[in-house]
Amino acid sequence: MWPHEQRDRHHKGVSSSSSSSRCSPSSSVLPQTPKRRTMEELWKDISLNASPPPPLDYHRLQADSSLHSPSMVLQDFLAGPLNQPLYQPQAAAKELLPPPLQTALSLNSGLEFQFLGEADQANTQSNSSSNNINGNVANGSFTSYDFSVGPPSPAALFSFCSRKRSTTESHPGAADRHQKRMIKNRESAARSRARKQAYTTELESEISHLQEENAKLKKQNELLMRSQVAVPKSSLRRSSTAPF
Amino acid sequence: MGEVVRDVLEPFTTSVTLRIRYSARQVVNGAEFRPSTIVNKPRVEIGGDDLSTFYTLVMVDPDAPNPSNPSMREYLHWLVTDIPGTTNANFGREILCYEGPRPALGIHRMVFVLFKQLGRQTVFALPEVRQNFNTRSFLTENYLVPVAISYFNCQRETGSGGRRFAS
Repeated sequence: MWPHEQRDRHHKGVSSSSSSSRCSPSSSVLPQTPKRRTMEELWKDISLNASPPPPLDYHRLQADSSLHSPSMVLQDFLAGPLNQPLYQPQAAAKELLPPPLQTALSLNSGLEFQFLGEADQANTQSNSSSNNINGNVANGSFTSYDFSVGPPSPAALFSFCSRKRSTTESHPGAADRHQKRMIKNRESAARSRARKQAYTTELESEISHLQEENAKLKKQNELLMRSQVAVPKSSLRRSSTAPF
Repeated sequence: MGEVVRDVLEPFTTSVTLRIRYSARQVVNGAEFRPSTIVNKPRVEIGGDDLSTFYTLVMVDPDAPNPSNPSMREYLHWLVTDIPGTTNANFGREILCYEGPRPALGIHRMVFVLFKQLGRQTVFALPEVRQNFNTRSFLTENYLVPVAISYFNCQRETGSGGRRFAS
């Protein structure tokens, strides 16, 4: 079953086969947290599985994409030869895609359900057709893992802004209070910045003082050591002896 | 630091060392101390050249009761006079006993200022209450010269304001 599909992937691109699996109704229902676990599992499995059959190929692929994190590599896997990868991992590498691709996709079939859920929030920079959605969704979800900023932030920003606007217009006099609040907040923020600045400059001057002191003490120490070596140690001598 | 100085007195140049320590922890300008760590007076060691020069130490809170509304600026937490040079605050006269800061609102700056006295027992003009103390007028009335300043930040025990710096 798998090899047959694999051949399809080759020609039509990954997305087509995966889209069929994506269309299942259970896609959007899955919760967030299992996705993360499966993501990690995916990575673990890829690194495990990729090593045996064509270890060289996978490594070569990675070497080509040395500057980019593994996320780019997986994205390429998912995107398939149909999608232009964001960087060119060379045509040779594409040929090597199939064997590692096999492992990635065999694991990925479960993941794609979650990817669809992510796509609703994802602000993917997708300028492409549905065929590419899978690749771009993967991109969005991966970027959210890599940079942990990703999809949720714009949505969160929107809701925050709208909330603010709705409350201020609800009753009169609220604008003044709002204004006062804003001024107070601004002052508070300014104080906070001043505090932070003061502390960092303080630490910096402390550092320079300590460095100077350290250098001075080291020199002193060195001099003392040298002088100690040059002069023979004088031992304590008795000057007078008391009867007791 | 300059901003703190300006809030409390005219800018000056530091001329005497001032080392303040609460238990095991040295006061570094701008560090944060919670009320529980500053309940008891700190150990204050001063520099200076000799035992015959006398110094006054004040500890004020310019942000009382609330930094955004400092109506009690400055609140006097501690006043010690006639500290002999090169010694510590225990050798001075504690005019106003140490009161551990317990800010209710906001993040307060707690400022220590060390003054050089004209001579021994030359500080006569003493405040009657702790709040609304004016460091500037205090120093002019008593012919004091500022020689050192240090400060730290303090907020209420369970406060969550400000950045968490390593302490």
